[in-house]
Amino acid sequence: MDIIFLLTLLIYLAASIFHVFFLTTGDRKVHRFAYWATIGGFALHSIFLVLRWLRQGEFPMAYWYDSASFFAWAIILTYLCIAHLTRLRTVGSFVVPAAFIANLIAYTLPKGNAAISPALQNYWLITHSTFIFLAYAAFVAAFGIGLMYLIEEKRIRDKKHTPLYNLLPALGRSDRICQKCIVVGVILMTIGIVIGILWTRNIQEVKWTWVDPKVIFTVATWLIYVFQLSIRQIFGWRGRKTAYSAIIGFGAVLFTYAGVNLFLPSIHAF
Amino acid sequence: MKQIFVVGTSHHTAPLDCRERVSFSEHQFTDAYRFLREMRQIGEAVILSTCNRVEIYAATNNKDGCASLFDFLSDFHQIDPRQLGQFTYSYQNFDSVRHLFNVVTSLDSMVVGETQILGQVKAAYDQSLCAGASGDILKRLFTKAIRVGKRVRTETNIGAGAVSISFVAVQLAKRIFQSLEDKTVVIIGAGEMSELTAQHLVENGVSKVIVANRTYEHAVKIAEKFSGTPLTYDADLNFLVDADIVITSTNASHHLIHRQALVEIMRKRKHRYMFLIDIAVPRDIDPEVAGVENAFLYNIDDLEAVVASNLKERGQEAEIAAQIVETEAVKFHSELQASDINAIVKALHQKFQQITSRELDICLDKAELSPKQEKIVESMIHSITKKLLHQPTTHLRQVALDSDSLEMANDINDDYVPYVSALQELFALEPADDTDV
Repeated sequence: MDIIFLLTLLIYLAASIFHVFFLTTGDRKVHRFAYWATIGGFALHSIFLVLRWLRQGEFPMAYWYDSASFFAWAIILTYLCIAHLTRLRTVGSFVVPAAFIANLIAYTLPKGNAAISPALQNYWLITHSTFIFLAYAAFVAAFGIGLMYLIEEKRIRDKKHTPLYNLLPALGRSDRICQKCIVVGVILMTIGIVIGILWTRNIQEVKWTWVDPKVIFTVATWLIYVFQLSIRQIFGWRGRKTAYSAIIGFGAVLFTYAGVNLFLPSIHAF
Repeated sequence: MKQIFVVGTSHHTAPLDCRERVSFSEHQFTDAYRFLREMRQIGEAVILSTCNRVEIYAATNNKDGCASLFDFLSDFHQIDPRQLGQFTYSYQNFDSVRHLFNVVTSLDSMVVGETQILGQVKAAYDQSLCAGASGDILKRLFTKAIRVGKRVRTETNIGAGAVSISFVAVQLAKRIFQSLEDKTVVIIGAGEMSELTAQHLVENGVSKVIVANRTYEHAVKIAEKFSGTPLTYDADLNFLVDADIVITSTNASHHLIHRQALVEIMRKRKHRYMFLIDIAVPRDIDPEVAGVENAFLYNIDDLEAVVASNLKERGQEAEIAAQIVETEAVKFHSELQASDINAIVKALHQKFQQITSRELDICLDKAELSPKQEKIVESMIHSITKKLLHQPTTHLRQVALDSDSLEMANDINDDYVPYVSALQELFALEPADDTDV
């Protein structure tokens, strides 16, 4: 098991290096290699998750280790979807390294096999956490594309024409795709939150409370994105402002996911 | 044995009025190819005639192929040979191969990296094929040349950056909008450069052109060229609300577009991107505009700087391309040599076999031998032929190999050619089809 995970980690590392290398050289062969390495890593990672699920007999979501690993998996899945749907593959150079880091963090965390309280162990957990992490992954992609937007915009404004020339997408395109990622992320997150609320209604042991810090920050993150979407709809704010909100939103996601638990007690293990 | 020749004139050696006199118009090709076929000295031919060059490639057994091609040019166009001689150049064998590869990869073009020439070479070759003027050698040469042209396109960035102001504008627009379809371009003022830029934008998909001019008649005149909408220029600039790309080139002595005005316009157009190209001197657009969100301003100096850096980039890529051309030319030439030699060796063997088998038949008819004895005689004759031919064949290949090794020093020599010619003459050989022996 550990071997599979380590192998996945190494493949993601290689994929990250080649993706970044691609940005500096623009060699399509390098990209093809990076892309297939990512697919290979993703397949292995999926096998690992399934094996761990089978071995534990329950959805592996009890530890930070599992959640970080699942987060990485969701990021790669999102990247592959974007690459497949939009043919915008440069995004890998920004997103795959993020998945690698998430997986690396997972690797350093303790991985027990203790079960979640049986009361929580059901389909609610699976769907709730899956939707939330897919939403997070979409926001990570939006963040990566936002960065691409800002770099390209700066290059156009500074009148620089370095070899990155043809690799970064046109501003209009990255803006559109970034926006789509945010829309998808918000939809997934809304579903995840609603499932979370329904879930707590269904169990007696956990008392539903709005004052749980995790809940508060999740809603705050959600509001940031919803706010951005509304402003864009009403005033047509786009471009740099979308990119900035993708970055701020990403900061909020990180804090909600990892930061809250470090500082505040919560019913959520993570 | 066929050798390759080229005679031509290009922008390197002749001014436009000279090139015009030797160029071939569309309807002249049929005549020209018939003319070439009737000239016995020229076997295969391809005529390449573009605005920057006129070249005739030929593969022929005639050692003075260049002279024949030259005569053809001067006869066909009825130009005094002395005059023609001043602005033509000629190459043969390896040099002509390398020259064609340089041409097809645009290394010999006026603008290195231009994309048209590959298509022009292809068209010229197709035309020659249709006219039945291309034989085995030129077929191989041009197929290879087109492949080399493609290889240089894919392996180098020789044609990547735009090298004219108007194309740079198009490329920048694509970096902002991705697709120019359903975009609107507004031209303020008039001028060759702004019209050319608009023209290129339209060719790249821009669907709507608006021309604003202080004089409505002027606007109408320019707008007609793009089937655009003419407008009388109005200082409140409301017509910019729908403009995605703005080109200004007026003679105004003050700025027409100020920051505050543009901020207002951007708000009205819901901050959709706007690309402003100011090619007027003095400038029409306040440089402060560059700071407005989602508005991108390039002036003539900015565009020229991009052109300069792209030219520099192309220069570097051209060096890589030149290496590819050199290697490919050497490779092609040695392949050609090898097949020349194979062809002559094959012809020689066939000739000997013909003679021996004829004599053998006569002899076997006369002598009444048992099948076993016949076998023995037969194999003896074959073995003698083989042994007789062994020495000359090996020597010939050796000579070719030696000239191969010289190629490494980029000093192509065709030492083996006299041997091949001598063999052909001495044994009255017609080279068989060349491939494998």
